[in-house]
This record gives sequence, C-alpha cells and structure tokens, in this order.
Amino acid sequence: MSVEAQQGIATPRIPAGLGGLLPALILIGLFFVVPVLTLLLRSVTDPAPGLQNYAALLGDGTYARVFFNTFLVAAVVTIVTVLVAFPVAWMLAIMPPALASILFGIIILSMWTNLLTRTYAWMVLLQRTGVINRALMGAGIIDQPLPLINNLTGVTIGMVYIMLPFMILPLVGTLRAIDPMTLRAAALCGASPLAAFRRILLPLSLPGIAAGGLMVFVMSLGYFVTPALLGGTSNMMLAEMIAQMIQSLLNWGLGSAAAFILLVVTMALYALQLRLVGSKRVAGGA
Amino acid sequence: MLLDYDRLGWLKVALLAFTALVAAFLLLPVVFIVLLSFGSSRWLAFPPPGWTLKWYQELFADPSWIEAALTSARIATMTAILAVAIGLLASFALVRGEFRGREILRGLLLTPMVLPVVVFAIAIYAFFLRLGLGGTTTGFVVAHTVLALPFAIIPIATALEGFDKSIEDAAIVCGASPLQAKLRITLPSIRIGIFSAAIFSFLASWDEVVVAIFMASPTLQTLPVKIWGSLRSDLTPVIAAASSLLVALTLALMIVTALLRRKLQT
Repeated sequence: MSVEAQQGIATPRIPAGLGGLLPALILIGLFFVVPVLTLLLRSVTDPAPGLQNYAALLGDGTYARVFFNTFLVAAVVTIVTVLVAFPVAWMLAIMPPALASILFGIIILSMWTNLLTRTYAWMVLLQRTGVINRALMGAGIIDQPLPLINNLTGVTIGMVYIMLPFMILPLVGTLRAIDPMTLRAAALCGASPLAAFRRILLPLSLPGIAAGGLMVFVMSLGYFVTPALLGGTSNMMLAEMIAQMIQSLLNWGLGSAAAFILLVVTMALYALQLRLVGSKRVAGGA
Repeated sequence: MLLDYDRLGWLKVALLAFTALVAAFLLLPVVFIVLLSFGSSRWLAFPPPGWTLKWYQELFADPSWIEAALTSARIATMTAILAVAIGLLASFALVRGEFRGREILRGLLLTPMVLPVVVFAIAIYAFFLRLGLGGTTTGFVVAHTVLALPFAIIPIATALEGFDKSIEDAAIVCGASPLQAKLRITLPSIRIGIFSAAIFSFLASWDEVVVAIFMASPTLQTLPVKIWGSLRSDLTPVIAAASSLLVALTLALMIVTALLRRKLQT
C-alpha cells in the first residue's frame, strides 16, 4: 500500500502521520496503561514493599487450587469448543450459500445476544428442576436430577456456548482457503476419506485450529461473568477470585498480584498467537 | 472429496446432523428465554402452565429498570461516538502513516481487547476512585471507550486498507483540498467500516458487565449491572422479560445491519 502511494501522484502527506494517533494514544496511555501499571505497582507495595503478596499467592494451597481450576476449565473448554466447532465450520465452508447464511445468522444472533441473558438462560435451563433435568428424567434416562450447575459442568457448558462463535467463524475462513483440488487429488490417488482427513484436511486447518484454540483458551482464562454465575463456591476461577479480593475483602495487594499473574499469562499466550498468525489476522478475527 | 459438498455421501448426513444439533444448541437459550418471559410461572416452570404479559408489566412498572436502560443507552451512545471519532483518526494514521513502531502502536491500541477485563476493571476502578470519577457518567464513558476502541479501529482500518487511495489522490489532482477529498471521497467509501465500528463499539459498552459492576454506584446503574444484581438475588421472570427485549434489540440491530450493508454495497 505504501509503495503504491509513493509511486502515485505526489500527494501531500497526511498532516503529521502520527497526529491522528494522538487522541487514541492519550486515551489508552492515560486511562489504560497508567491505571494498569499503577495496579501492578500496588502488588509490590501494598501493604508493605516486597514480594510478600506473590509469596502468599504461590505458596498457599487454596490459591493453588484456584490457579489449577482456572487452567483446567480453560483447557477443557478449549478442547470441547474445538471438537464441536470443527465439523460445523467444515460444513459452513462448503454448504450452499443459502443454508450457510441461515447458520451464520444463528451464530451471530447467539454471539450478539447480551452475555447476561445467555448466562441467565443457562442458569434456568441447568438448575435441579430445570428443563434439561426434567427432560432427562421424563425420558427415563436418569432417576435423580444431575448436578449441572454450581460446578465445573455448568461452567463448561456455559463457556463452550459463549466461545463457539469465536472458534467457528475464523475456522470457516481457514477451511475455505483450502483448495478442494488437494483433496480430490488425494482421493484419485486412492486415499481413503479417513486418510485424506488425517493427512490433508486436518494438517491444513491446523493453523486455524491453533489460532482459534489459543484465543478461546486466553479468553477463558480471564473470564469472569459465566464462571461466577454458573460455577460453585468450591471451584472458583481466577478472575472471580481477583474481583472478590478487591470488592469484598478490600485486599488490594493480593488482588493486584493475582491480576498481574493473570496479565502475564494472558499476554504471553497472546504474543504466541501473534507469532502464529500475525497481528492482522488476530485483529481481523474479531 | 472431503471439501466437495455434493460428494461427501454418508459423511454429509452425519456432519449436517451434527451441525443442526449445534445450531439448536446455539438457539436454545435465546428461544427459551423469550418463551419463558411469557410463561405464567413465577418459579420458571417449563413448559409454562399458562401464558401472561405480567412480567413485562412488572418490568415497565419498575422505574429502576427503565432508568438503567436509559443510562446504558446514554453511555453506549457517547462511547460509540467517541470510539468511532478517535478510532477513525487512529486508523488513518495506522494504515497510511509511515513511521517506525507502527505495528507496536497498533498492538498497543488493540490490547484492551485482549487483556482480561477484570484486570482493567480493578485498575480503572482504583484509578477513578482517586480522581473522583468513580460512579460518574464520565468515568463510565471513558472506561468503555478504552474497551470499545479496538472494536472501532479494526473495521475502519480494514475498510481503509481495502480502499484505493489513488481515488482520493485523483480528487486532489482535480482541485479538492486533502480534507475535502477525505470527507467527500474516502469517508463515504469506507462507510460500511465506520458503520460496523459504531455498532460494535455501541454493543461493547451496552453489554459490558465487569467494569460496570465495579464502577456502578447506587445512583448510577447500567442495565447489565441491574440484571447482574437481580440474578444474584433471585431468578425472577422479570429478568426473562428484560432479556427478551434485549434479544429483540439484537435482532433489530442484525436486520438493520444486513439491510444497510446491502444498501451501501450496491
């Protein structure tokens, strides 16, 4: 693009190329970078200078459980999301446009519907006397209502629901970019559908799966609303713990140390994702 | 043959069946909540014993719901205007500017989208407590604009990258001032991007829960905060009524977007 501009007519430069960035940089600098850095500073100064907050967080079994839980939920959610999203994205990539647009409509409707609305629906659906338990009991599949809420099952169902569009939509792009001829060639050469899937379709879509999966994992790590509403008190996740430390316990030192750990992990994984797909792809993925 | 819809054979049936199941899964909560909002059971029994509008009546009779919705609309509108204005300026610089560290700056401006909201929420909460901006409309708008900015920059920058700059240059050659050329040639050409940016940044604020929970004061509550509070106390069907209205709003936005896109593209 820049080369074109240079070769084209000598146009006046945009009045100070950087000038347009000024409002954005002031906003982000003053109201994002400064507050976040101040918070991080607080993790080593509150209540007294030193690393005692980190020592407390990393040395305590209760907190270790929260970290473990958070990673476990994020991993389970990511795996389930990938497994469910792949076949759907596959179909979306090749199905007739009319059918695909209906499906896209459903995905966008679910994605754009208010987050609390969706979570509320799952709270009602999954409760002990909820529709799902009643249907299963009515069909004679179970005798006792399943504990579907206030535990990891509830969190996983609710989170997979929210993450699916973020996995399906980028994957469709990846799958559409694969040349169908490669698969036709495989079939002509006698490859069975399974072999073609394992050796061609899956490897070729792996970059998309990795990028999407990483995004889902990162988003799940820091998720607050759904785990707080669908999860139980015994298996809290990191974001909820941070909020609680600040809001209920007013323990700013510990809360900001936990926030810093979450930030470092998230940013490291984000950097990995950038390396995998390049900044523009990540940005376009939303 | 795996990417040939017509030659998938039995696999197509299986995959389509699975896709239909997932589509049903995605639709289930949305449809369920709308049905529930018309059900007469206070205990959310389903299928409902009868149909009623009383939850909607209760919703509209309670001024705190109306007020929360108006507050949300006000904050989201201001957020969208600010985010689009700032994002538009930034996008021009990011797409056309030539300076070192452009990619780093782009990354920096998009970071609020990646950082877990809870981290930003407590950071800005502490910061605004000191500045005395906690629980104020200004505080809400500023915090939400930070979160919405990436959602404004991405569609505008994408549209701008797809716009052939030589058209703008031609206008300048024909005597337009650079500003005129931008206002009358470039902006109309990237209007779909600007329009998407407005919708996305509006929704980013309108649906935002986490920052709002920390920022809210007894006198200033957005709709998500109001829903959050009700959810934590009990699962009254009034929430289903409020939620159904939000679903209706989402549908309306989707239809307007689809129509406008079609209109703008032709």
